[in-house]
Amino acid sequence: MGMFGKLEPMQALGLLGALFFLTAPYALPLVVPDFWINITAEILIWSLFAASVNLLLGYTGLLSFGQALYFGMGAYGVSLSIEFWHFSFWPAAAVGVAVAMLSAVVTGVFAARLTWHYFAIITVVFSLIFFFVAVGWKDVTGGDDGMPFTLPPVLKIGGFELTLLDRTFQYYFILAVVASCFALMHRLLQSPLGKAFVAVRENAARASLVGYNPYMVRLVSFVFAGFFAGVSGVLFALFSRYASAHFLFWTVSGEGVVWAIVGGAGTLFGPVLGAAFLIIVREELSVYWEHYLLVVGVIVILCVAYAPAGIMGLLRKGIDRYRRRPAAAVEKKSADAPADGNRKEARR
Amino acid sequence: MTGPVLKVEGLTKTFGGLVAVDHVDFTLPGGGLHAIIGPNGAGKTTFFNLISGFLPATAGRALFLGQDIIGKRPHEISRLGIARTLQIKSVFNGLSVYDNVWIAAKGQSTFLNPFRAASSYTEVASEAAALLDEVGLADRRDEIAGNLSYGDVALLEIAIALATKPKLLLLDEPVSGMSPGETERTVEIIKNCSKRLDVILIEHDMEVVFGAADVITVMNQGAILCEGPPNAIAKDPSVQEAYLGVPEDEEAADA
Repeated sequence: MGMFGKLEPMQALGLLGALFFLTAPYALPLVVPDFWINITAEILIWSLFAASVNLLLGYTGLLSFGQALYFGMGAYGVSLSIEFWHFSFWPAAAVGVAVAMLSAVVTGVFAARLTWHYFAIITVVFSLIFFFVAVGWKDVTGGDDGMPFTLPPVLKIGGFELTLLDRTFQYYFILAVVASCFALMHRLLQSPLGKAFVAVRENAARASLVGYNPYMVRLVSFVFAGFFAGVSGVLFALFSRYASAHFLFWTVSGEGVVWAIVGGAGTLFGPVLGAAFLIIVREELSVYWEHYLLVVGVIVILCVAYAPAGIMGLLRKGIDRYRRRPAAAVEKKSADAPADGNRKEARR
Repeated sequence: MTGPVLKVEGLTKTFGGLVAVDHVDFTLPGGGLHAIIGPNGAGKTTFFNLISGFLPATAGRALFLGQDIIGKRPHEISRLGIARTLQIKSVFNGLSVYDNVWIAAKGQSTFLNPFRAASSYTEVASEAAALLDEVGLADRRDEIAGNLSYGDVALLEIAIALATKPKLLLLDEPVSGMSPGETERTVEIIKNCSKRLDVILIEHDMEVVFGAADVITVMNQGAILCEGPPNAIAKDPSVQEAYLGVPEDEEAADA
């Protein structure tokens, strides 16, 4: 208790979350069946995907309905390099990320000129184009059936081999990559570039009047989002040992948007909460009821209507309320800032 | 450097059949506070929109320190050294007062390092703090800009404009909606600015204009009516005519 006493409540929660993810492969089997380790790994991958949506929606103010395109490009990039060109693990993964970023540059050049619904429409159209190409080009992509591949080892020194076939190693590998990406995103958001994203979201005209080129800022943000989506696609392909045209479908993009919004767009870890919550709902509910998506729909509607800052917003509100009762005098202030990621800056 | 700060030649803007700015020739020699006045719809704000890159001009050019800025985009013009405030106050509403100014001060950099913490730029931080001191918003620095009073938002917008280190500052009705006390303070700030950089001020408050401006340009129906020091403008019959209209008996005599 003494150790937690010095922490802000949100930091304590974050520490608990980190502890959970760090010990999951050993702690989870004590309480739930083993397959929950893989579900937790999947939550991590989809959190990163949702974070890519969040970077655009929560920080730069762009609603992308096409992030599945870069996810799918990452997945195909890694699987094609392994299956056709027999690349080893790391070069294949690098190809996946590079292909995703490259497609983000090519589509972003057009998409970043637009905002609001026009931006949402053009992103969904781009992803549909690539989806239909992937479905049609069966020889290469395997179409709807997907293209399985054989996992190369992550590391091989003499007789010593590390592969993702080891479930515990696979889990920690995914955790390490996802955690590094979140650290990178945190860095990015605290940087001058991150401030420029937020400036363009808040008021693009004012941003241009002080010297920022809103188009360039949006494009750079779009490519970074393509990077994060690409990494998550690479991870998911390695995790499921195949890539499928379905990865590029717009419903995948839509799920990313839903996870980001339910978790709390504009907060770093909101997407983790959103993805975790809704994937657990899916796992638990889909066993009993095939129309479980109706429940997800209701959750999303309630969230948008009553908790626009998502689970993260509800948590903060709850903590603020709890703290205001005792020892309100100690607190400097609790300004009711607009519920988004700028609270931290506002408190500085 | 010789030559005028701003030299506008034949600047024209038409919206369909309406001529909003009509072959305006305007020279700002530099040094001092220059005010533009004129009745509503005279084309003052459109003139600002043209030289800040918000609107494409129909014809004409505008040389800022010898360089034509017509056809350039707002962020390019900002980087050349022109800053402006908007008639409808425009700040980053969801961000703190401090971040508003910080972002503006950093906006002139050619490279935004994505891997360096914003808080580590001590020079930008002290610039932002100094500007908040200058406009008197230092004790509001952590407040969300959207929660400020109207007058404070206008002051914040001036601080944002100054943070870009402009050579020329365009102010569009900075004191509109302010209390007399706020107006007095703001005029003082504007006067101080005009000692170190060139200021063009659009303002309807005649007390402010005639008290502060060194030179006044009067616009009417898209064109420049006359220009001169305040006392000359005050006596000019064509100005009174533009504001008050022609007396009826004279109108009859003209016809």
